Amino acid sequence: MRTTTYLSQTNLRGLAEDLLTAGTRVVAPAKIGRAPYQQVDYQRIAKVEELAMDGALPSRPLKQFFMPPTEILLRWKQKKSDVEIEEISTQFPATVILGARPCDAAAPGIVDCVMNWDYRDELYFGRRDATTIIGLACGGFDKSCFCTAVGLGPDATAGSDLFLTPVDGGYHVDVLTEKGESLVQAHAARFSDSTGMDAAKRFHADARKKVESNLNPVPPAVRQWLESNFEHTLWESIALRCHGCGACASVCPTCHCFDIVDEARGVDRGERRRNWDTCQTSRFTVHGSGHNPRANQNTRFRQRVTHKFAIYPKKFEKILCSGCGRCARACPGGMDLPELLAEIERLATSAEAPQLRGERS
Amino acid sequence: MNLYQPHLVRIEDIVDETVDTRTLNLAFKSPETASAFDFKAGQFGLFSVFGSGECTFCIASPPTRKGYIECSFKLVGKVTKAMRALNVGDTMGFRGPYGNHFPLDEMAGQSVVFIAGGIGLAPVRCVIWNVLDQRDRFKDVTIIYGARSVGDLVYKRELDEWAKRSDVKLWQTVDPGGQTPDWKGEIGFVPAIVEKAAPSAKDSYAIVCGPPIMIKFTLPVLKKLGFAEDHVFTTLENRMKCGVGKCGRCNCGPVYVCKDGPVFTAADLAALPSDF
Repeated sequence: MRTTTYLSQTNLRGLAEDLLTAGTRVVAPAKIGRAPYQQVDYQRIAKVEELAMDGALPSRPLKQFFMPPTEILLRWKQKKSDVEIEEISTQFPATVILGARPCDAAAPGIVDCVMNWDYRDELYFGRRDATTIIGLACGGFDKSCFCTAVGLGPDATAGSDLFLTPVDGGYHVDVLTEKGESLVQAHAARFSDSTGMDAAKRFHADARKKVESNLNPVPPAVRQWLESNFEHTLWESIALRCHGCGACASVCPTCHCFDIVDEARGVDRGERRRNWDTCQTSRFTVHGSGHNPRANQNTRFRQRVTHKFAIYPKKFEKILCSGCGRCARACPGGMDLPELLAEIERLATSAEAPQLRGERS
Repeated sequence: MNLYQPHLVRIEDIVDETVDTRTLNLAFKSPETASAFDFKAGQFGLFSVFGSGECTFCIASPPTRKGYIECSFKLVGKVTKAMRALNVGDTMGFRGPYGNHFPLDEMAGQSVVFIAGGIGLAPVRCVIWNVLDQRDRFKDVTIIYGARSVGDLVYKRELDEWAKRSDVKLWQTVDPGGQTPDWKGEIGFVPAIVEKAAPSAKDSYAIVCGPPIMIKFTLPVLKKLGFAEDHVFTTLENRMKCGVGKCGRCNCGPVYVCKDGPVFTAADLAALPSDF
């Protein structure tokens, strides 16, 4: 299924209006804060005026709409020596994400693999299934973008049900899935025949050129290097700039690690919650005995890079990264993943003998 | 019921193994769950105290004994502290069984050498009873168990029982200085006692659980005795939260310990990065 159609600026706002009126939850890039102090972030919008489709790359990715930073897994109530559990529903309201950047639209499809690996995470997939994603071609945001290096691109439609590309006066629309098709059918009056195919192609080509100049495609040699250079000297001082704060993971569209904790609400009741967590903190792996397999920041950073570019691809045949560049933008210490990938490529393809740390301890 | 919602279990019995180690005997509250529940030796679960949280422990009782599960734990943190505060009749949560298991079917017809240190006897005890409950499926059974001191030996009643059996060869040891005046067992570290006991590697498997340092020095001894690396099993005890391969915590190189493990052969371990 791949048909095209056209949505004018006016009809895009009209479509959002229709959805809001019908009670559908609409998530879109929206201005937050009072003018002129405004940022753009994906938000559940209440009014069409909040839309900021053509503004900056939203500061956070979409993962909070599939796995919130904190969510309740169950509620419990103590009754003498008995406990009553209140189940949490895995049914979620219909949601349309309007204007997802290609890196953000593609990310959930990557994370789906781990969330459905033998055991299906119904809370995550409950939201996934209830959500329709309308992607928006990106013009290439800044120097930290590297989607083209991880097999995606500013024109990549992966993960989108409908895909919009800005053309004169509106958007050229690719209809990519059944979900997308039924959305178009339900709002047929908003769409018209597209003549914007060529303009869309030009937009894509210009954007690609911009992003491609930031970083070469990550070659298979990088994964092979990561798999066989666990003890390389590169890792010994890799994280000197890193504060171990986990900002990179919190803004990462594909980082999905979590913690499970109980929060008491008074003495006889409470909630079990799933909270986002990150491999960048020392407590992530520390054993009850005090032993910590990843006892310093260098080993924790190595884990982050290796998990994304070697472990996950080995297990699920997908790189755990959509190249959005937010980790590099958010880092308070100046850690730069695209820069590191370029360095690993250099090491992997140069003739230099590998530098090993010596005997494994 | 979502993936992370536990079954409710009732504490049926509490046994203090040492001053800081306790065994809880738990029964499923729902009769349907109780009759449907099954697991294999080596699998683990997430045990929880509502209000304090979840903790990962192996199921320390054998799958051959139905109607209950046991978990043995040492007081180390928030959840284990809360577990110690519970009484018989109180309610806990349990999710599981998770992970892989010891390949008892593959081991059938062969001899088994069990080697454990300290609380590491818990996962091994599950397999020991499984083997003893099906004693005619296996050849020689040797158990080598050590702890820091006599007071740190767990499952003392069962050690006495195994000592009395003619179809089990039991070696007990404590670290030098850990003995009492009436101690009749060995004095020395586990690897040294394995060397002294020198179990035959012929048609034999070894299962080794205990502190990392004990495992590190025991593996070369087994190698010297002629045990093939794929006939030596151990468990990894990485920190876990979800138990179902999602939360990322137990990931070590290409494996998620909760799903690809916790049981690994010595050959598997040698191939893993030193991240456990």
